[in-house]
Amino acid sequence: MLAAIFPSIEGSPEFDELVANYPEVLKELFGLGEGGGITTGAGYLDVELFSFMLPLLVLVLAIGSGARTFAGEEDAGRLELVLSYPILRSRAVLAKGVAVAVEVAVVSGVTGLAMALLDPVVGLDLSSRNLAEAIVSLAALGLLFGWLALALGAAVPSRALAIGIPAGIAAAAYLVNGLHGLAGWLDPFRFVSPFWLMGSSPLRNGVDWPGVLTVAVVAALVLLAGAWLVERRDLQTP
Amino acid sequence: MDRMEDAPAIETLGLSKTYSGGTRALVDLDLRVERGEVFGYLGPNGAGKSTTIRLFVGLIRPTAGRARLLGLDTQEDGVAARRIVGYVPGDLRLADRLTGSEQLDSLARLRGSVDRRLRAELCERLDVVLDRPIRQLSRGNRQKLGIVQAFMHRPELVVLDEPSAGLDPLLQAEMRTLLRETAAAGATVFLSSHSLDEVQHVADRVGIIRAGRLTDVDAVEALRERALRHVTVTFAESVDTGALARLEGVRVVRVDGPVVSLSAPESAMDALLKAVASHAVRDFVSEPADLEEIFLELYRESGDGR
Repeated sequence: MLAAIFPSIEGSPEFDELVANYPEVLKELFGLGEGGGITTGAGYLDVELFSFMLPLLVLVLAIGSGARTFAGEEDAGRLELVLSYPILRSRAVLAKGVAVAVEVAVVSGVTGLAMALLDPVVGLDLSSRNLAEAIVSLAALGLLFGWLALALGAAVPSRALAIGIPAGIAAAAYLVNGLHGLAGWLDPFRFVSPFWLMGSSPLRNGVDWPGVLTVAVVAALVLLAGAWLVERRDLQTP
Repeated sequence: MDRMEDAPAIETLGLSKTYSGGTRALVDLDLRVERGEVFGYLGPNGAGKSTTIRLFVGLIRPTAGRARLLGLDTQEDGVAARRIVGYVPGDLRLADRLTGSEQLDSLARLRGSVDRRLRAELCERLDVVLDRPIRQLSRGNRQKLGIVQAFMHRPELVVLDEPSAGLDPLLQAEMRTLLRETAAAGATVFLSSHSLDEVQHVADRVGIIRAGRLTDVDAVEALRERALRHVTVTFAESVDTGALARLEGVRVVRVDGPVVSLSAPESAMDALLKAVASHAVRDFVSEPADLEEIFLELYRESGDGR
């Protein structure tokens, strides 16, 4: 839908002027500052989708899925029987990790496919390579926060924490990435923001591969930590 | 895994669990259950029955001591120990959206090896509802699924936490038969309950737990003999209760005109009946004492005064 509005603002100098008058804070948050501007296809989607809507969508889905699959199941008392079976809890956590990853991959993949199909229709003129990279960074983001929610639920018996902590970290990381240019004291912290690490305007500039790799490695370490910690605690009764 | 062929079905040594809040749910449990035995684990709510059972199946970790199931340590060989165990949780929660048969399929895949014919047999025997989503099932029908999944891999040890909750009397009887058959076939049954009545017809021995401590292990017969009966006698007219009170083990609880309430062990029943019969009697009621009173009696005997 957002992409379909694009033809109406494409090449519109009024819109560029409007944006130029935006407060700096908004420009930084929504990725309006960097080259390309909102009136190019890639710039428009970076701003409208990749800097806010899609990460939000993927994060909500990934955190929900990660928290539900362990913390939620424990909360509902359904792990009591399953974990009395001859399986290692750590293996169960890793298997659930695979399920979360598949879910994130499917959602990101479908999003990418929808963009690719929409591109010729509304004339966004996207670079297919940049689009693929943007989708990869989206999936990496989902993986990190989905696995964090899963691992937290595995480590401590609290569904609230399994949702709250990843959501809080994601919000903080998003703001750090958006505002570090304006608030100088935030600048040193940009390195811990996955948004910054992977590149914040993927459709225009592609992704930062070492950053994507870093995010993926951290995600895997978080999941492994959850699998290790789950063996060391008591399962709660509902 | 160093599983010993002659190891007992259950052996615990100083098994203890203190929860992080400081609650001592289980204190120094030393218990041995032989193979082929049906063991009843009796205690009031909150006594530590579920804690013991959850330690057996590795859902919680002991703070001290150890437990071995057929020689397999529940901590070190947890997966191997759980392979030979069937477990019915006290508060059974299943996947509500699945049908009964989908749930059993999913658990069978998780287990790896399941005797399909046995599973079908059990379902038929307990009249399990297989084709409806579990969320539509009554508590009793869910419980039946819980029982089937615990038996469908021919476990060597079945651990059931208050299994007859929600089952009607007919099914309770069917389940008792199933437990007896299981023991007769050489497997072991560990059954927790808060009701002596539920356990006494099926168990060989009974352990009594209270406030986290195993206070008594005895054959059911012996326990029953020791258990006090509540006897209420309605005489035709007021009588002198002195002769009754002098009988071994008999205590006069209350005298209300011609109605006399007594407590007496089974061993004193014959003498009591004969003494009562020397008067004209309108009514004679003898009821088994409830478990709490048996506990109190056991405490009096062991003299730890709690």
